[in-house]
Amino acid sequence: TPGATAPAAVAANAAAPADAVANAAAPVWPVTPPVAGIGQPVNGAIGIQPQVTKLGEEALWMHDIILMPVMVIISLLVLGLLFWIAARYRAKANPIASKTSHNTAIEVIWTLLPVLILVGIAIPSISLLAKQYKPAPKEAITLKATGNQWNWSYEYPDHGIEFTANMLPEKDEAAPGTAFRTDADGPRLLAADNRIILPVGVPIKLLTTASDVIHSWAMPAFWIKMDAVPGRTNETSFTIEKPGVYFGQCSELCGDKHAYMPIVVEAVSPARFAEWVKFKGGKMPGSEPVAAAVAPAAPAATGATAPVADNAAAPAANATNAATAATGN
Amino acid sequence: MAGAKNHDYHILPPSAWPLIGSFSALAMAAGGVMWMHGSHVAADQANGGGWIFLMGLAGVLFTFYSWWADVVKEAHAGDHTPVVSLHLRYGMILFIASEVMFFVGWFWAFFDFSLFPVALQVVDGQVENLTGQAGVVAQFPAKGLHVIDAFSLPLLNTLILLCSGTTITWAHHALIHGDRDGLKKGLWLTIILGLLFSGIQAYEYAHAPFAFKGLNYTSAFYMATGFHGFHVIIGTIFLIVCLVRTYKGHFTPRQHFGFEAAAWYWHFVDVVWLFLFIAIYVWGGWGAPVHG
Amino acid sequence: MTDIAATPSEFQAHGHDDHHHDADHKPGFFARWFMSTNHKDIGTLYLIFAIFAGIIGGAISGLMRAELAAPGIQYLHGWAELQGGDHLHLWNALITAHGLIMVFFMVMPAMIGGFGNWFVPIMIGAPDMAFPRMNNISFWLLVPAFTMLLGSAFVSGGSGSGSGTGWTVYAPLSTSGSPGPATDMAILSLHLAGASSILGAINFITTIFNMRAPGMTLHKMPLFVWSVLVTAFLLLLSLPVLAAAITMLLTDRNFGTAFFDAAGGGDPVLYQHLFWFFGHPEVYIMILPGFGIVSQIISTFSKKPVFGYLGMAYAMVAIGVVGFVVWAHHMFTTGMSVNTKMYFTAATMVIAVPTGIKIFSWIATMWGGSLSFKTPMMWSLGFIFMFTVGGVTGVLLANGGIDNYMHDTYYVVAHFHYVLSLGAVFSLFAGFYYWFPKMSGKMYNEFLGQLHFWTFFLGVNVLFFPMHFLGLQGMPRRYPDYPDAFAYWNHIASLGYVIMAVSMIFFFVNLIISLAAGRKAGDSPWGEGATTLEWTLSSPPPFHQFETLPKVD
Ligand code: HEA
Ligand code: HEA
Ligand code: CUA
Ligand SMILES: [Cu+2]
Repeated sequence: TPGATAPAAVAANAAAPADAVANAAAPVWPVTPPVAGIGQPVNGAIGIQPQVTKLGEEALWMHDIILMPVMVIISLLVLGLLFWIAARYRAKANPIASKTSHNTAIEVIWTLLPVLILVGIAIPSISLLAKQYKPAPKEAITLKATGNQWNWSYEYPDHGIEFTANMLPEKDEAAPGTAFRTDADGPRLLAADNRIILPVGVPIKLLTTASDVIHSWAMPAFWIKMDAVPGRTNETSFTIEKPGVYFGQCSELCGDKHAYMPIVVEAVSPARFAEWVKFKGGKMPGSEPVAAAVAPAAPAATGATAPVADNAAAPAANATNAATAATGN
Repeated sequence: MAGAKNHDYHILPPSAWPLIGSFSALAMAAGGVMWMHGSHVAADQANGGGWIFLMGLAGVLFTFYSWWADVVKEAHAGDHTPVVSLHLRYGMILFIASEVMFFVGWFWAFFDFSLFPVALQVVDGQVENLTGQAGVVAQFPAKGLHVIDAFSLPLLNTLILLCSGTTITWAHHALIHGDRDGLKKGLWLTIILGLLFSGIQAYEYAHAPFAFKGLNYTSAFYMATGFHGFHVIIGTIFLIVCLVRTYKGHFTPRQHFGFEAAAWYWHFVDVVWLFLFIAIYVWGGWGAPVHG
Repeated sequence: MTDIAATPSEFQAHGHDDHHHDADHKPGFFARWFMSTNHKDIGTLYLIFAIFAGIIGGAISGLMRAELAAPGIQYLHGWAELQGGDHLHLWNALITAHGLIMVFFMVMPAMIGGFGNWFVPIMIGAPDMAFPRMNNISFWLLVPAFTMLLGSAFVSGGSGSGSGTGWTVYAPLSTSGSPGPATDMAILSLHLAGASSILGAINFITTIFNMRAPGMTLHKMPLFVWSVLVTAFLLLLSLPVLAAAITMLLTDRNFGTAFFDAAGGGDPVLYQHLFWFFGHPEVYIMILPGFGIVSQIISTFSKKPVFGYLGMAYAMVAIGVVGFVVWAHHMFTTGMSVNTKMYFTAATMVIAVPTGIKIFSWIATMWGGSLSFKTPMMWSLGFIFMFTVGGVTGVLLANGGIDNYMHDTYYVVAHFHYVLSLGAVFSLFAGFYYWFPKMSGKMYNEFLGQLHFWTFFLGVNVLFFPMHFLGLQGMPRRYPDYPDAFAYWNHIASLGYVIMAVSMIFFFVNLIISLAAGRKAGDSPWGEGATTLEWTLSSPPPFHQFETLPKVD
C-alpha cells in the first residue's frame, strides 16, 4: 500500500546516490537510475528509440514497417536501374543510341504508381494523426511545461505543485557546494536537477508555453514534440506504459544554452506518484488537504493497483490536440 | 558597342549605375543599422549612422534619376523598338506582381491578428494582455481601443483615389488621341488628387486615436497603410515625371510607355487601397468605438 | 520616336565579314567587369562570387564539423576568445552564417545568376538578357548583401558577435531575443539579396517570354530554360513575402511594433507562416535549375533527346505550383489543428509525383542510349540517386504524425543536405564541368574531374548518411554539444568532411590548371548528343552572340 512505501522511500533516500551532497540531511526524493538503452540514445545505434506509449509504438510501426521499406525499395530501384543502364547502355555495349522519346503507357504507369504508393502511405498517416489528436480524457493529469531561457518550469495544476528543472552540470563544472550530475541522474547533458514524476497508465495532458522565446518540449521515447510558444498554450497528451526514466531535450533554437535544457520524465506507479505529490507538498485532486496522506488517491479511471494492465482499457491516449491557443491556428 | 547587330534587341553599353546604386544601397543599409543602434555602438552618442544612411539614400536617388534619364535618352535614340518596349511592359507587370505579393505579407499579418484575436485591453494608451484571466473575451481590435471612423476621412480618401483612377484614364485617352491639353489636365488632376490623398493620410496619422507601438492592431494598421502611403508617394512622383515629360513633348500617341507604366502603377496603388479600406478600416474596425 | 525595327533587307545588308570584329569588341577592364551589360560576363561574375561564398560557407561547416567531431565543447572556447563573445552564441552564429551563405550566396547565385545568365539567353537564341543593365545590378546588389552578412559577424548579436538566430530567423529569438546590430545586418542583407533576386526574376521571365529566336516556341525550349522560368516565377512571388516578414522583424526590433510580440497580441507563429511561405518555394528555387542542368547533361551523354519532354517541363511547373501550398510542413509541431496538419501532410506528398516523373524520365532518357561517363555525366548520375534518397526522406517527414519525432533533429539535417549538398551541389558541379569548356574555351582534366567526383561522392555520403541515424536516435539540431551517446556517428560524419575537403582540393587544382593550361576546347566537345544552341557557337562564345538571330525549326 502507498502508506507502507512512503517511509521506505524516505529510508531509501539516505542510501540514494543523491546529487545534492551538500544537504544530505534534508529529505530528498530518491533518484532512480535510468536503464541504458531505454529513454535515451545509444551510441552507434541506427534506429528509433524504444517507444513507451501506445501511439509511439504505432508511429514506430508506421515508420519501420511502412515508410522505411517504401523508401529503401524506391531508392534501391533507382540505384538498380542506374547500374543496369550503366552496364547495358554504355557506349561500348550500345554504340547506336535509339531515338525513342515517348511512351505514353510507361509515363502513365510511373505517374500512377507513385500516386498509389502515396495513397497507401497517406491512409495510415492520416489515421495516425487523428489518433494523436484524440483529446485527453477527463481524468487526465495535467502537466504544464513552460520554456524559459534556459530551463523548464513545470506546474501540476491539479496537484498544486510547481518547480523548475535545470540541467545538472558535470562535477568539475559545478560551483562548489552545488549539485552536480551523477550517473544515477542520467547521462551528461540529459540529467536535470528536478525530474518530472508521472504515473504510468494514466493519461497525461501536456500543456506547453514559453516565457521568452520559442522552445520545444520533446520526448523521443513518447513520440512527443510540442513547441512552447510565448503567448499561446499548446496541448497534447500521452500515456506512459512502462515505469522508467526518460530523457528529452529542448528542440527549438532558443539562444545560447539551447543544448542545455534537458527534459527528464520519471514514470512511476500511480501509488508512488501519489507519494511524490505528497512529498512535494501537493495534494491529489479530490483528496483532503495533505493531512489525509493515507488515501491512495489515484485518478478515478485507472486504478492504483495494476496500472499497466489496466491501460488497455484506458481511452486512447497520446492525443495531440489543437492548441487551445490564444492566437492563431 | 552595338555593331553589326541584325536584331531589334537593345544591346547596352557599359553603365556605372548598377555599381553606384548597389554601393549606395550598402551605405543605406549599414548606415541604417548604425543609426538604429546608435546607443549600442557608442553610448548615448550619435555615431553618424544617420548621415551615412542619408548619403546612401541620396546615392540611391541619384542612381534612380540618372538611370531613368538614360532610359529616356535611349527611348529618344530609338532603342525602344517594339520588342524592347514589350520587354518594358513585361518588366512593369512582373514588378507590380511582386509588389502585390509584398502586400500579401502585410495583409496576412492583419488577418492573423483579426481572425485569431487575443484578449487585450488598452487603458490610457497602455496595452494589457488579459490572456488566461477568467471571463475575458478575446477581441480585435483590443478592448478600449478607439479606431478611425472608416466613413469619414478614409471614405473620402477612397473617393479621391477612385477619382484619380478616372482622371489618369482620361489623361491616357487624351494622349492616345493626340489631345495634349487633355493629357496635361488629366495628369495635373491626378497628381493633385494624389497629393491630396497623401495630405489627408498625414492628417489622419497625426490625429489618429492610437499610437504606433506595442499593439498588434496598430502595428498592422500603420505598417500596411504606411507602405501603401509610401507607394502613393512613389506613384505621385512617377506621375510628376510624366507631367514634366509631357511638357517636354516626350510622349507620342504611339509611344509613351513611361506614361503607361505610371498609370499601371497608379491603378495598382488604388486597388491596394480598396483592399485596405475594406479590410482594415471598415471590417477591421467594425464594432470598435470610433474616434470623434 | 523613330522606330528602328529591322527590315528583312537590313538583315541582308550587314555582311558576315564585320560580324566577328564587332561581336568581339570588348570594353576595357573596369568597364567590362564593373559596369557590365553582358550576360556572359555577369554570369562569370556570379560564378566567381558563388565559388568564393562556397569556400566560406564550406569552411564554416568545417569549423562546425570539427566542433561536433567529439562530445563536449572542443574549440568553441578558443574561437570565441578570438572573437570576444560567448562560445555558445558563436555556435549559433556559425550555423546561421553557414545556412544563409550556402542558400543565398552560393547555390542561388551559381544556379540562377551563373548558369542562368550564361546559358538562358544562348539556349533561346537571344543576344543577351532583356534588361542587361538591370542584370548587372542583380549581381552587384549581392556584394553589399554579402558584405552586410559577413560584417554582422563582427558586431554584437547578443552575448557574442554575429547573428545567432538560425537561417530561419524565427521570432521572438530574432526580435526580443537578439539585441545588438548583428541581426539587423543579417536582415538587411536578406533585403538586398532579395531585391537582387526579384530583379533577376523579372529579367529572366521577360527574356524567356520575349526573346526566343524565331521558331523557338515554349515547347521547344531546352529544359534548363524551362527550369529557370519556373524558378523565376517562384522567386518573383515568394521573395516579396519574405521581404514583408523580415521588415516586420526589423520594426519589431527597432521601432516597437508588436507583430511577433505576444504581449501586444502579436503572434510568433505568424512569422513562421510568412517565412515558410517563402522558404518552401525557396528549396525548389535551389533545386529546379539543377533539374534543368541534369536534363541537358543526361540527354547529351546518352546521345538521345530527353524522354517525355513535355512531361518533364510540366512536372517542373507542377512542382512550382504545388510548392506554394505546402509550406506548413515545416511547422508540424507548432500546435496546428488536426485538419491543417492532415492537409499539409497530403499536399506535401503530392510533390513526390511530379518529382518521380522527372527521375523516371531521366532514367528513360538513358535507356536505349549510348552512354559515355564523362565527369558531368557522373555528377548527374550521382545527382539522380542522391536526390532520390533525400527526396524519399522528405516524403517521410511530410507525414505530420511521424514528423513529431523527426522535427528539428538531425534526420531533417540529413534530409536537406541530401537534397542540397548532394542534390543541388552535385548538379552545380555537373553543370560546371559540362559548360566549363564552353565558358572558358579550355577542357578540364578528365582524370581530376573523375577523382573529384568519386571522392566527393564518398565524402559527403560518409558525412551526411550517419546524420539519419543521429536523428532517429533523437539528436536535436543546432546543438554545439551533445550527449555522449551521439559520439560515434558524429565522429564518422566529421571524418566524411575530411574526405570531402580533400576532394575539393582536386576540384580547385583542376580548375586552376585547366584555366591556365587546359587543352583548347572545340565548339562542341561533347559531340552529337549536345543539341542546344550554345554548342553551335565558338568556345568561348563571341562577346555578343547571335548578332543575326538563329532560326530554330
Ligand atoms: C533542395 C532543397 C529541398 C528539396 C528539393 C526538398 C524536397 C522535399 N522536402 Fe525538404 N527541406 C529542405 C530542402 C529541400 N527539401 C530544407 C532546407 C529543409 C529544412 C529547413 C530548415 O528547417 O532549416 C527541409 C525540410 C523538410 C521538411 C520539414 C521537416 C522538419 O523540419 O520537421 C519536410 C516535411 O514535410 C520536407 C519535405 C520534403 C518533400 C516531401 C520534398 C519532395 O519535394 C521530395 C520529392 C522527391 C522524391 C520523393 C524522390 C523522387 C521520387 C520518386 C523516385 C518517385 C517515387 C516516390 C514515392 C512514391 C515516394 N522537407
Ligand atoms: C546549399 C545549402 C547547403 C550546403 C551545400 C551545405 C553543406 C554542408 N553543411 Fe550545411 N546547412 C545548410 C545548408 C547547406 N549546407 C542549412 C540551410 C543549414 C541549417 C542552418 C540552421 O540550422 O539555421 C545547415 C546546417 C548544417 C549543420 C547542422 C548544424 C546544427 O544544426 O547545429 C551541419 C552539421 O554538420 C552542416 C554541415 C554541412 C557540411 C559539412 C557541408 C559540406 O557539404 C560543405 C562542403 C562544401 C561544399 C559542398 C560547397 C562547395 C561549393 C563550392 C565551393 C561552390 C562551387 C560553385 C560552383 C561550381 C559554381 N550544415
Ligand atoms: Cu529551449 Cu531550445
Ligand atoms: Cu518544405
